[in-house]
Amino acid sequence: MQSLWLYFTDPVLRGPTVGCMLMCVAAALVGVLVLLRKQSLIGETLAHATYPGVILGVLAVAPWMQGESSGNLLAVGVLIGASCSALAGLWSIEALRKYAGIRSDAALCFVLASFFGVGLTMASRLQFSHTRLYVQIQQYLYGQAATMTDQHVVLYALLALLIAILVVLFYKELQVITFDREFAKSLGVPTTSIDNVLFLLVVLAVVVGIRSVGVVLMSAMLIAPAAAARQFTNRLSILLVLASAIGAISGFLGNYLASELSVLLVADTGGSLGLPTGPMIVLVATALTVLSLLFAPERGLLLRLWRIARFRWRCTSENVLKNIWRDQERGYRLHDLARHLDMSRVQLQLILWQLKGQGWIERSKRGGWQLTEPGRVWAAQIVRLHRLWELYLTDCLGMGVERVHRSAEEMEHIITPEIEERLTRILDNPTTDPHHQPIPPREGNLA
Amino acid sequence: MTALAYFNPYSGLNFFGVMAQLLSRLGQLVVGSAENHLYSDELQILVLMGVALSSSLVGTFLILRRMAMLANALSHTVLLGIVVAFIATGTHQGLQLVPTMLAALSMGVITTFLTQLLTRATRLQEDASVGLVFTSLFSMGIVAVTVWTRNAHIGTEAVMGNVDALHAADLKLVAVVAAVNIILIWMFFKEYTITTFDAGLASALGISTVFFDYLLMVQAAATSIGAFRAVGVLMVLAFLTGPALSARLLTHRLSHLLVLACAFGMSAALFGVAISRHLLSVYGLAMSTAGITVVVIVLQFLAVLTYTRTRMVLARSA
Repeated sequence: MQSLWLYFTDPVLRGPTVGCMLMCVAAALVGVLVLLRKQSLIGETLAHATYPGVILGVLAVAPWMQGESSGNLLAVGVLIGASCSALAGLWSIEALRKYAGIRSDAALCFVLASFFGVGLTMASRLQFSHTRLYVQIQQYLYGQAATMTDQHVVLYALLALLIAILVVLFYKELQVITFDREFAKSLGVPTTSIDNVLFLLVVLAVVVGIRSVGVVLMSAMLIAPAAAARQFTNRLSILLVLASAIGAISGFLGNYLASELSVLLVADTGGSLGLPTGPMIVLVATALTVLSLLFAPERGLLLRLWRIARFRWRCTSENVLKNIWRDQERGYRLHDLARHLDMSRVQLQLILWQLKGQGWIERSKRGGWQLTEPGRVWAAQIVRLHRLWELYLTDCLGMGVERVHRSAEEMEHIITPEIEERLTRILDNPTTDPHHQPIPPREGNLA
Repeated sequence: MTALAYFNPYSGLNFFGVMAQLLSRLGQLVVGSAENHLYSDELQILVLMGVALSSSLVGTFLILRRMAMLANALSHTVLLGIVVAFIATGTHQGLQLVPTMLAALSMGVITTFLTQLLTRATRLQEDASVGLVFTSLFSMGIVAVTVWTRNAHIGTEAVMGNVDALHAADLKLVAVVAAVNIILIWMFFKEYTITTFDAGLASALGISTVFFDYLLMVQAAATSIGAFRAVGVLMVLAFLTGPALSARLLTHRLSHLLVLACAFGMSAALFGVAISRHLLSVYGLAMSTAGITVVVIVLQFLAVLTYTRTRMVLARSA
């Protein structure tokens, strides 16, 4: 625990830690908005598109880089260059769509590849002539937080704050435009301007983030925290807060793991090795996302699968009960149950044991199964719902008698007491179904 | 074809010199008096042309099927496949054919499968699940390669490619990939066409669109891995999309589209190498040949776009 705390207090470690967290929070905030607007991949393209700008920015400030403040100057140069280049990328996507009639996925892909290719060509030019600058530039590929100082952090903190302020300031407009564009237009919200604000936000978030996450992986930090937070809430405000928290955690843990792992590897080989922070941050963020996707309450995959399985099991149990009930009514033989229900004997046996444990059925004297009194009431109720629904379909909706059974097989497990009551009223408390079978009357209170 | 000569007749030549030299070498080949090996520039031209051929064929269908962003995802994820193939075979040199092909196959299937799984099972939007899958797999690839080689710069080289470090073995790999792509596209031309343009007809005829989606992704993965040494895993995306988009501006017929895209891609490869040599000879600039080829592809697209736009404007005013 102490070593974790050290990351906030140590003057060398504190810069990268806080920097990474701020950058990821900024990206997460913007990520929520683009995720809800289903434009997640625009971040991918814009992040790659910043690369030539990073190089130009470094080159532009290179002549003045001397002494103390050179790091700050470099950061500013990169920020400006990257923003211009990302905006150019944004414009190119629009131009390709408008003037060349190219679909947006192809346009995104082509802009990404061409900007990145141009950037790499420029970088290769510097590789031998300006080796020191080249090394600085390559850090922006996968992110390298380790060399961030407190002054950098102040700069990035201001930008992150700017993003947060813009989101808060335009919260209402962004919300209404995200969820109902037509409604927003009717309210007189300037949709195009707000769209531009959003694009500006994406550009800002990407430009801020590439220092720690890198050009290649930046898009993950727009997507992962937002996707993870989306599992827990439907409210935009909570979504923004949650995503920021998840972003901050990934930023911290990613930076922590990257530097610890670097130390481990260096101890192993004796050389110097700076593991890029980007991949570690992204791995932490996606791990958090996968966990949320699996385990989140309500929306989580596992819980959903569990609920589906439980519902299916209940349906099957009810079908078994119904069949035993009908066996009394019509005189089916019990060991035909498995064949009749088209289920395995093992599952049937399990269900029978469970029903017995719950007190719905018991062994009869002849060796078969028979319903207990509560079991009989429940089974009759299921049959009642089945036949009520069949009658409703034929009488009120005019469906053919031969077609209603299948629907009723499903509905008998779903109809709630309220719906049952209304059906009874609409059908005027009927006693026989369309197949001339009696409809059992409602008895007792059923859970 | 096996050994590279130390003496290179292309060194010091400008753009036109390279072209003339290449022609004279081709002439020698026809006459039968050619020496029995390839010079480095010729190797680069052949490899890049092979990459361009594969990617133009595959890229055309990727774009028509709106799978461009999936291809982007794939170009990132193959890195993990390559790293695993490297570690499994325990070699630092050259990619061996069989493990490489297996890596391509598995990454193509895994990327597509995971993306669809995320979309279907967790109701995540498709673009978001694409983004999640490829960034996490790529991160694993980068971490694995850094930890395994104890070198933080390998990851950089993986995305940049290096044509100067090509071996004859790389040419073999690229040639095999190109051959496989040509054969598959030729064999399944009808199926690809139908599943691309008319999913309803495809299902009526019993042709599985999903199967051909997967096959195309596997082909794209093989193409990316074939291109890995020469152009890196990310720039191959320009090879996949650029020529096909340029061709798309000029024609609506599928067969013309494929031929034109290949022509654009392969000529860009040829010019790329020649321009790279020209810059080195005349200005003393050593620049990434693959990067220059990408720039040529972009310029081709812009030229075609200008051409079609002007023609449209002229037609309107006339």
